[in-house]
Amino acid sequence: MTELDYVGKRVLRKDGPEKVTGRALYTADIHLPGTLVGRILRSPHPHARIVNVDTSRARGVPGVKAIITGQDTHGAMHGFVETPRYPPDQHCLALDRVRYVGEEVAAVAATDEYAAEEALRLIDVEYEPLPAVFDPFEAMEPGAPEIHPRHPKISDPFPNIAGKTESSWGNVEEGFAHSDYVTEGRFESHLRTHGYLEPQCTLASVEPSGKLNVWTSSQGPFIKRAKLARALRLPQSTVRVHKAYVGGAFGGKIDLFAHEYCACLLSMKAGRPVLIVASREEIFSVYRHGQPLWTEVKTGVKKDGTIVAQQFKVVNSCGAYRGSGVVVIFLTWGFAMLPYRVANLKWDGYAVYTNNPVRCPQRGHGAPQLRFAVESQLDMIAQELGLDPIEIRLKNARQPGEELPNGDNVHNCGLPECVQKAAEHTRFRETHAENRSRASSTDRYRRGIGIGVSAYFSGSLIYPNSSSVVVKMNDDGTVTVLTGSMDIGQGAETIVSQIVAEELKIPVNEIEVIAGDTETTPVDIGSWISGHAYVSGNAAREAGGQVREKLLQIAADEMEANVKDLIVDDKSVYVVGSPDRRLTYSQLVAASIRKNRGEPISAEGHWRTMRDEPVHPSLATTKGRWSENYAFDAQVAEVEVDTETGLVRLLRAVTAHDCGFPINPLLVEGQVDGQVSMALGHAFMEQVVMKEGRTVNPNWLDYHMPCIHNVAVSQHVEVITEQYQVGKPYRTKEVGEGLVSGILAAIANAVYNAVGVRLHSTPFTPEKILRGLGKIK
Amino acid sequence: MKRLIELSINGEHYELALNSQVTLLEILRDHLGLTGTKEGCGTGECGSCTVLADGKPILSCLTLAAECQGMAITTIEGLSEENVLTPVQETFLEKGAVQCGFCTPGMVLSVTALLHKNNNPTETDIRKALEGNLCRCTGYNKIIEAVNEVVQRSSCHAHEENQT
Repeated sequence: MTELDYVGKRVLRKDGPEKVTGRALYTADIHLPGTLVGRILRSPHPHARIVNVDTSRARGVPGVKAIITGQDTHGAMHGFVETPRYPPDQHCLALDRVRYVGEEVAAVAATDEYAAEEALRLIDVEYEPLPAVFDPFEAMEPGAPEIHPRHPKISDPFPNIAGKTESSWGNVEEGFAHSDYVTEGRFESHLRTHGYLEPQCTLASVEPSGKLNVWTSSQGPFIKRAKLARALRLPQSTVRVHKAYVGGAFGGKIDLFAHEYCACLLSMKAGRPVLIVASREEIFSVYRHGQPLWTEVKTGVKKDGTIVAQQFKVVNSCGAYRGSGVVVIFLTWGFAMLPYRVANLKWDGYAVYTNNPVRCPQRGHGAPQLRFAVESQLDMIAQELGLDPIEIRLKNARQPGEELPNGDNVHNCGLPECVQKAAEHTRFRETHAENRSRASSTDRYRRGIGIGVSAYFSGSLIYPNSSSVVVKMNDDGTVTVLTGSMDIGQGAETIVSQIVAEELKIPVNEIEVIAGDTETTPVDIGSWISGHAYVSGNAAREAGGQVREKLLQIAADEMEANVKDLIVDDKSVYVVGSPDRRLTYSQLVAASIRKNRGEPISAEGHWRTMRDEPVHPSLATTKGRWSENYAFDAQVAEVEVDTETGLVRLLRAVTAHDCGFPINPLLVEGQVDGQVSMALGHAFMEQVVMKEGRTVNPNWLDYHMPCIHNVAVSQHVEVITEQYQVGKPYRTKEVGEGLVSGILAAIANAVYNAVGVRLHSTPFTPEKILRGLGKIK
Repeated sequence: MKRLIELSINGEHYELALNSQVTLLEILRDHLGLTGTKEGCGTGECGSCTVLADGKPILSCLTLAAECQGMAITTIEGLSEENVLTPVQETFLEKGAVQCGFCTPGMVLSVTALLHKNNNPTETDIRKALEGNLCRCTGYNKIIEAVNEVVQRSSCHAHEENQT
C-alpha cells in the first residue's frame, strides 16, 4: 500500500495566512463603488394584521433610493423545507399579517445609514393587534390563537401544528409488557443561539444587464442561489453568489434570510449595490436561533440492562413559521435510533407554531437535546438495576455491520470501542464508584464523572445532493482545484486540497483552490449537512484520481513503459526500479498538449450523497434511507460542584470519536474543542431569554457565551475505523456537529455522580443544583 | 460640523476631515479600507475590533477617531512587514488557533500587546489579556496553546542569544 503523505496529516489551513494578516475578505469587507446602505423595518407586534403600509413620507427623505414592502414581492414565499406536505409558509416581506416581533415589513436603501434610519422611522404601518401565544403547549390547547390555518395533512385535533413525524418499529406495548423495568421521564431544553462572530450580512449588486451579483455570509453558495432565484423569480443563471470568507455559522446561516432577499430586491430597484449588515441586537432578537425541545421518553429494559422498548413524544416550539422545526422532529428520531439497539420503538414528534421568531438548525440540530434525555434516563436505569454506566452502554451499543431499522447500515461502527476507550482513558468505573462512595460527604467541592454517547449522520439527500470538483494541471506542473465548497472555518478548502495532493503526490501549497462561487466552480452540497468531507472529499478524490490516470497514461506512452510499472512521486512519474527514467508533471502536460489534440490534462469528479436512493426520507413517516455513513462518539465529563453556591465547573472533557478516517487531525481537534466549548455554554451559561415574544438579553453582556475564563481541558481519543487508499472510494464520517451532544449528557450525569442531583432541564443553573440539594425551595 | 484630525496608523500619517462622532473603527474600515479590523457587535462586547494604541489594546468600535490624535495606532495590517508573519501569527496558524478567522485579528493584536509588556506571562496573565476577545470556533484551547508556544519559543530564542 502506498504511504500517505498528505491525508491524515496535520496540514496547516490554506486560508491561514490571509486570516492572520487581516487580508481575508468577509462580505462586509467588500467595497463596491456607489454602495447603498440597506435597513429593515420590523414588526413591533407578536401577532397583528397589517391594515396599511404608507411609504410616502419616507420616500421624501433625501438620500433614499429605494423602498420595498410586501407589495413589491409578488407574494413570493419561502421555507427551510419546501415539499408538497410542507409548502413554503413565509412571505419574503410580510403581506397582510405579522406573526412575531421583528418580522420584516419593509426595507430601505439610502446613501447613508442616517437617511436609511430616518426613512424607516417615517414608514407608517397601521397594525391591528391579534391575540398571540408563545408557549407550544398553550398553542396546542383548544381555543388557542390560530397562527396559520390548520395543517391539512395532520390528523391530530390540536391547533397550530406545523408538522408531525410519526414512526415506529416492532411493537412498543408488547415490549413494555416484556420488560423487567419500565421508567418514564420528561426532559426540557432551552433557547440558545449560534454566536457566530461575523454578523449576518449581504452585498447585492445588479449589473445593467440584469445579472445579480451576491456576496453573503452563508454555509453554501448553491443553496442560496437556488432560494434567492426562486424568491426573486429570476432564472438561476441570472444570480451569481460569489465567495466571501465566512466568520462562523454553526447552522445559523443556511436558510434564506430576509436581509438577503431585501438587499437583492433593493439593488434591483435602485440599480446600485446595496449592503445590509444585521446589527448584533437584531441577530439576538429576531434572527433564527436553535430549538428548545420537550422530550418525553418511556423506556423498558431487561434486568441485564438490554433496552426492549422506547417510546418518545417530542414537542418543538418552531416559532411563527416552520423554519427547520419540522426537520428537528424527524432528525431527533434518527438520533434516538442510531447509537443503541432498540427492538421496539414508537416516535411522535410535533412542531408547533408559536408567535416567536423562526428557528433554524444549530450545530447538532436536535441531537444535544435528545441525547441529554436518553443518556440521563439510561444512567437512572443503570442505577436502578445496579449496573455501571459503561456496562449498560456496551450492552446496547450498536456493533459493526448492523443494519438500522430504516435500512441503513452502520458499517464499521466504532461505538463500542469509543465507550471502552473513553472509559479507560478516564478510569471511569473506578472514579465513578469512588465519587458515589462519597455521596454523603459534607465537603463543599465535590467531583463527579459522567458519560454520554451520541451518533450523527454524514450527509443526506437535500439539494444540491452532490458535489463536483475540477482538477486542472497547469503548465508548470502545479494544480488548480475548482470546488464549490464553502469554508466556514472548519477547513473545507484545506481538506479538498489534501485529498487532491494525495492523489497526485503534490505538495498542498502547490495547489491553488478556487472555491465557493456559483459561476466559476462546480456544484457543492455545502457546509451544512455534515457530508462535506465524505461527498466533496470523494469528488476531489475522483477528479484527482482521473488526472493521475491521465498523467500515467501519457507517461507510459512517452517512456514506452507499462502503466503498472510507473510510480507517481514528487510532481513527476518514473519507471519502477529506474528513478532516472522520469518525466515531470510539467513535461507530461506539454506532451499531452502535443499528442492529445491540445488536452492540457484536467478532470471533473462527482459524488452523490447517497448512491442508490432517489430522495430524502419522508419527514412525516421517516421512511426511506437517510445516510451512508454514521459517526459515533462517547464523551466523558468531569465536573466540580460547589455545594455552597451551586456553581458547576466542567474540568475535563474526553471525546472518543469514530470519524472514520481523519483527513486532518489538527482540524478534527479544532472541531472537537469547539463543540466541547459550545456544550459548556449550553450546559451552564447561555440562554436567550424571551418574554411575550421579545428578547430581553440581546447582547453578549447579557447572553453569556464562553470566554477564555470558561475553558475545559479537552482531550481527544481517536477511534479510526476507515482507511484512506489512493484511487479507492473511502468512507469518512462527520466530525463537525455530533460532538456537542454526548458531552452535554455527560455533564448532567457527572453532576448526578457528584452530588446526587438529577437534572431534567437545561441549563444546569446554580438554582437547580441548590434546589436539588435541598438548600433552597 | 467637520473637524480636521490627524492620525498615525501603521506608521503612516493621515489628515482627515471628520464629524466628531465618527469612531476609529469606521475610519479604519470605511475611510481607509483597512478591513482587517472587524466589527462583531459594535458595542464593545466581542473584541473583534481590537487595535493597538501606543501598543495597548483598545476597542476601536467604542473609540472616537478624534481621541486618537497623537497616538500611534497599529492594526492587523501593520503587524507583519514585507509578507513575513510575526511569531504570534505563525504560531496561531501552526497550533490551529484559527478557524473562521473573524476574531483572529483582534486576538493576534491582544496577544502581541501582552507579549510586548510581559515576555513571560503566566496562564492567568494570558487569560486576563484575552478575556475581552470572544471566539466561538476554537473553545480557546488552541489559542492558549499557541500563546504558550510563542512564549516558550521566544524564551528559548533569548536563551540561545544569551549563550552566544
